[in-house]
Amino acid sequence: MKPVQTIPLDYYLTLGIVAMEGRGFEYPSDSFVAENDRIYVTNKSRDYGERGVRVTILDMDSDYFGTFGHYGISEGQLISPAGITGDANGNLYVTDDYTSMVSQFDLEGNFIQRWGSNGSNKDEMQSPSGIAIGKDGLVYISDTKNHRVQIFTTAGDHVSAIGSQGNEEGQFNLPWGVDVGLNGNISVADWGNSRIQRFDSNGDHVETISSVQAGQNQLNHPSSVVVDSTGNQYIADWGNETVKVLNRSSELIQEIRGQATLSKWASAFLETNREEGLSRENANLNDLSSLEDTEDPHTVSAHIEKLFWSPVSVKLQKEDRLLVTESNRHRIQVYKVGVSN
Amino acid sequence: MEKIEDKELELLSHLIRRAGFGATRRELEDYGKYSYEEVVETLVSPKETNWMGDYLVRRFDGEASGMINAPGSARRWIYRMMSSDTPLKEKMTLFWHGIFATGVPKVINGRVLSDQIEMFRDHGLGRFDDLLLRLAKDPAMIVWLDNQENHKNSINENWGRELLELFSMGVGNYSEDDIKECAKAFTGWTIGNTEYMMVRSKRDSDWPYGRIAYHFKYLPDDHDDQTKEFLGHQGNFNGEDIIKVICNRETTAKFIARHLYHFFVADEVPVPSWNEVPPRDEQAIDELVKAYFDTDHNIAGMLSYLFNSDYFKSKNARYKKVKGPAEFAVGLLKLSREFEIPDRDMIPRYRQIGWMGQELNNPPSVEGWHEGQEWVNTGSLIERINFASELLGNQDNTGIKELIDTVEEVLDENSTPEEIVDECLTQMGFLRLSENSKTAVTDFANGVEEDREKISGVIRLIGSTQEFQMS
Repeated sequence: MKPVQTIPLDYYLTLGIVAMEGRGFEYPSDSFVAENDRIYVTNKSRDYGERGVRVTILDMDSDYFGTFGHYGISEGQLISPAGITGDANGNLYVTDDYTSMVSQFDLEGNFIQRWGSNGSNKDEMQSPSGIAIGKDGLVYISDTKNHRVQIFTTAGDHVSAIGSQGNEEGQFNLPWGVDVGLNGNISVADWGNSRIQRFDSNGDHVETISSVQAGQNQLNHPSSVVVDSTGNQYIADWGNETVKVLNRSSELIQEIRGQATLSKWASAFLETNREEGLSRENANLNDLSSLEDTEDPHTVSAHIEKLFWSPVSVKLQKEDRLLVTESNRHRIQVYKVGVSN
Repeated sequence: MEKIEDKELELLSHLIRRAGFGATRRELEDYGKYSYEEVVETLVSPKETNWMGDYLVRRFDGEASGMINAPGSARRWIYRMMSSDTPLKEKMTLFWHGIFATGVPKVINGRVLSDQIEMFRDHGLGRFDDLLLRLAKDPAMIVWLDNQENHKNSINENWGRELLELFSMGVGNYSEDDIKECAKAFTGWTIGNTEYMMVRSKRDSDWPYGRIAYHFKYLPDDHDDQTKEFLGHQGNFNGEDIIKVICNRETTAKFIARHLYHFFVADEVPVPSWNEVPPRDEQAIDELVKAYFDTDHNIAGMLSYLFNSDYFKSKNARYKKVKGPAEFAVGLLKLSREFEIPDRDMIPRYRQIGWMGQELNNPPSVEGWHEGQEWVNTGSLIERINFASELLGNQDNTGIKELIDTVEEVLDENSTPEEIVDECLTQMGFLRLSENSKTAVTDFANGVEEDREKISGVIRLIGSTQEFQMS
């Protein structure tokens, strides 16, 4: 059989704008594209931003459909939404790393139920973050401060757990993003150990990826990973402020640094606020001349707006769009994913 | 191992309170493996820094990563101060922030303020000339003092004036003409994309995608390259030349010496009075001035001299300085280890420091904060005591739990309340209380039955004593 060749990611568009409430994002932590093609974006906001904590709903055309899950401790409210996923029945699941609970909503944002409690016992969690649902219908959650992956039913009944604290195979250090592939394999962004770990559906360790290109190009505190049906892996290499694409043999195919442009919402803002828009047109926002003495990607990204800055999540939309959510830039960069024979 | 005398540990405790944020007995014993002079050398010439690290802070405190506003910058700094193993570096960032006071109301951008703090950390113990030059190029300072509006054909004197008045020599040591010539030398020293950044700053705009960090830009076409006369020197001066002239002057050495004495040894009168009120210890200032020139304007060299001096080491110098709010709070955060991983609960902690009177990255004016007794009033004292009580009284805090465990291990069931109080003071870092304070804490200990609660209560009460407010 002719090997499948992956065409490198192609920049498509940017979504979002920073906003303390309503249409826009503020410190987005994750995104999820549901079957209805709507994109659900969790926002942590800042400093107990009571209006800023929310889930924003939009689509790829930047049409805006409102928000839900606002700040608060009551049912249907969130303090610090960290991850979001959905099931085949039109339910959304949001982790809250402050309350250590998982809240379930429908696609309109109506609250259904919540479960989970804070602690380190076997059915408890401390600061859950990444969340995914497998083909088996179970919920996989990075139980970050307990350094393990917890598996629950969608009703919140505890099923099992993978891993413990450490840096050996099968152990974790503050895991973040989690993904379950079509084959049931579980991929975990083992953030504190700067590696991706993969497990089979029984929870047995399969593979560890800490570097690509024969020991070169180390991963640096990856935040998120998603695997497509061909086995290609998309990794948010958070500490390096890049996204890496690996083939099924875990060889590096492509690494991108980001190339955001103005989203529809950003363009509308700058058209309305002409003084700001005109002065921006006259500015050189790609000027690297002053940054000769630093190679720190986080610093470079603070200066150059188009680059990824704190890419916290990579998610696929039907395998032909990759969404890269950037916390510090309050936006999502979208890339076309191409596959040909 | 040779036993370290308690009086040596008490002296080290004094040193680490002043040059850092305090240390427990266990930490002091680690310091005590070296001579006092060796500890001083390690403090002033740190090799590597270990702290909880940027990655942890950035992951678990988003605003301390994106820094839209000042609180994010300040929180990152607090995490760093409380967990760093090079405490003097952090203390010096506080020191320079108090002198080169730059604030959010004009700068707006938290990341830019954080970059300035980072610069103080990296260069605050080096040559003063180098620090001043970096300050002149620092984007936060440029915007804070309007140097982006200082043009060849239309000078703005703000930076030039404060460079001489507040940052190097003090009032009375230069003329109005010197200020103008100084300003001319810094024309063309601005930030990149000035217009766009200033429009955003004026509108407090973080749209569309959050803050963009500023960078220094020199515009030769906007620089006045005419001959200038400054403090008796004549030449086609640029900013670097002006800083060289300033740093070679004895008045500058005296100014810095008095600031160091004020911050590390004993409270002086507020800076605006320095022209009229002589230093409380003129000989100490003269010796520090000599150290400035002997070490080629090196701040670490001056501090090495200061920390090894008799006037610093004297028992009479101890517990005589009111801790600044940030210093006070960081000491408690370090002792209690409330945040081993950054947490959203740092947000109220940061706010409490502001309520005590020191909102980091937001000084009351370009003069910074007036220190000493002015830190304390009825409201701020209540805040301080509440803060100490919350942190020291929480047995879930790792540092507190370990303190109680250690005291329990050392003492036994027959220990008297006096012995319990003494042991708590020792384990908290060889602290000393006045007789009145000690009696009050001992009376409390007398009234509690359960040992662990007694020790916990004593530790908590020590945090509310007058001596605990002092360094």
